Amino acid sequence: MLPFDMRPDAVMQELSAYGQKLSHGMKNLMEVGEISSGVTPKTVVYREDKLTLFRFENPNKGAVPNKTPLLIVYALVNRPYMTDLQENRSTVKALMDAGQDVYLVDWGYPDRADRTLTLDDYLNGYLDRCVEVICERHRVDKINLLGICQGGAFSLCYASMHPDKVKNLVTMVTPVDFQTPDNMLSHWVQKIDVDLVVDTLGNVPGEMLNWTFLNLKPYQLMGQKYLGLLDTLDDPEALKNFLRMEKWIFDSPDQAGEAFRQFIKDFYQQNKLLNGGLVIGDTEVKLKNVTMPVLNVFAEQDHLVPPDSSRALRGKVGSKDYTELAFPGGHIGIYVSGKAQKTVPPAIGKWLDERS
Amino acid sequence: MADTNWMDGWLNSQQNYWTAWADMAQRGMKTPEAPKNPLADGLNQWWKTMSPMTPPVGREVFDKLMDVSSGYFSLVERFMNGAQQQNGPEAALNGWLDGMQKMWGEWMQGGAARSFTEAGQQFKGMTTFWDLPMDTWQRLAANVMPMPGDFTQAFHPEGGMQQQVNRFLSIPAVGYHREAQEQYQILAQRQMDYAAATQAYQTAFGKLGMATTQNFQQALKDRTKEGKPITSLRELYDQWVEMSEAAYADFVMTEEYQTLYGRLVNSLLALKQQMARMVDQTLEAMHMPTHAEINTLQCRQQELRRENLRLRKDMKAMQAQIEALRQAMLKPAAVAEKPAAAKPVAAKPAAPKPAAPAAKKPAAATKKPAAK
Repeated sequence: MLPFDMRPDAVMQELSAYGQKLSHGMKNLMEVGEISSGVTPKTVVYREDKLTLFRFENPNKGAVPNKTPLLIVYALVNRPYMTDLQENRSTVKALMDAGQDVYLVDWGYPDRADRTLTLDDYLNGYLDRCVEVICERHRVDKINLLGICQGGAFSLCYASMHPDKVKNLVTMVTPVDFQTPDNMLSHWVQKIDVDLVVDTLGNVPGEMLNWTFLNLKPYQLMGQKYLGLLDTLDDPEALKNFLRMEKWIFDSPDQAGEAFRQFIKDFYQQNKLLNGGLVIGDTEVKLKNVTMPVLNVFAEQDHLVPPDSSRALRGKVGSKDYTELAFPGGHIGIYVSGKAQKTVPPAIGKWLDERS
Repeated sequence: MADTNWMDGWLNSQQNYWTAWADMAQRGMKTPEAPKNPLADGLNQWWKTMSPMTPPVGREVFDKLMDVSSGYFSLVERFMNGAQQQNGPEAALNGWLDGMQKMWGEWMQGGAARSFTEAGQQFKGMTTFWDLPMDTWQRLAANVMPMPGDFTQAFHPEGGMQQQVNRFLSIPAVGYHREAQEQYQILAQRQMDYAAATQAYQTAFGKLGMATTQNFQQALKDRTKEGKPITSLRELYDQWVEMSEAAYADFVMTEEYQTLYGRLVNSLLALKQQMARMVDQTLEAMHMPTHAEINTLQCRQQELRRENLRLRKDMKAMQAQIEALRQAMLKPAAVAEKPAAAKPVAAKPAAPKPAAPAAKKPAAATKKPAAK
């Protein structure tokens, strides 16, 4: 038996098909038009600096949503329209279908004037003011909080510092233990001189983060993925979906320098969220202060936030009502895959309704 | 339409090339001496013509697709040409793998300069694939530098440039321009540190490439034993990616990589920091605002904003407290008034207490008749 069994005519056929796909794909590309994202109608309810707080308009007219509003806290990295990418891939829409009244914090694109923003400014400043705005609008003392990825770590910190304002906490693909042995990002960042990075660059460029994320699987993410695109190039809708995702992947805001400094040092290099000693502003963040019900959702094939990093929350919070939900997919799939749409938001909605 | 003609033209030429190739292969003929990567080169030429006509949406994606396709075709062509020129597929495979090993050897020796011999050149198209992490890094480095492109590629820690820099660094800084000379010496040192870090990083990827080639060889042997030979070019490529990704994942979790990566990032930023310092000195000499001054202003402004927000919050809390106090003060009066209203018997003694409302009522009463 030989390692190869390729007939010349089959090889010729394969290469010829490759060329045809490229050629037809080019025609589709010419006609692709604008790539839209962020599809669910929404209204601005609060603005401050670069931050915008949105409330989504429930398409199910007449539906009575959960009386406790739900605020989605997205990461500073990448853009929050990932949660509302397109009509049939929208976590936001699925949450509304599951009976939730959904708000979203969009942190915006920091520029050099924002380089001095700290985690204290973001959490005890911007986020706290968003929570107050929502509380006032709904005449409630507490809201439900849903944090995504880095936004999940922020939500944990916020819930620890302001337990009186959070009724239920949902964390999605959220790192808690930043030093699990399979955490590539954490491994890489240990010998980076973060002070030098921030003192030199001010804000940390989005391109730098992109480079880092793509290097997690460079040959797949920078090579094989594009060859895979060939198989869908003749389908205009599939091409649009691909381009929409590409747009999101490379839409990376710069990171406010001081917040980045503290996040890398305290979370990644010293693992203080888990081990203790994390101080934001004047307050020490203790997971034991997270006393409200917690739903911890993670993805079993997550290459950015390993599942063990999220599972570390178990037994660390002060709440007696702690639930885990494992999704068989990846870091992005948990928002956009068809399977996730059918299972994750409905489960979150049900869990929240049971605690309202 | 011109664009359609171009597409058709390219497809036809490709078809002709592979028809001829397959024809010769079927007759057992050896291919004549041909350009190294005709298909990849043809594709690049086609894209150069087509890309200006493509809309901005998606052009970047197609650029990447073309880069990847070019690397893919290089891999395929080297492999297929090898298969034609060797005696039997196994010999072809070994020849191909030997060629790959040779290229990695030259990659490590050449470092950033990457001067390949003719044998290495034949496989150079393949480095498009291995260049991915390094290529994106160089783009990033170019972005954070004040000069266009990644000019640092022009410097190599070995060779003539190193000797020149060493001479410059060994000149003691004295006299009126001592400080300026020191700054340039620091800059030169940091430049060399970054070049050394880049080369070390790249050399490590050469080693990784060699390891991958060996793993690939082993994987093919395993497939042979299992009776699962590779049946298409795409399968060959996917197997190569799988091997590369696995070898890479192991390597980047080592202490060695952590150190290389840290050194690469830190040395680039140390270089940029020194450049920024020198730019600031120039700006200062020209009486223009420096970067450092703007930073100071931004810090102070942010402190003021924080203080302002704190004061507003305190003021809001105080207003709430005052309102609560006011309500508390009004409450006893309301409480006292209620029993008075509830008990008509006690109405008389209670009457003097709500003085103000009592005073208002008569006024209103006097108005009414006036209006009539």
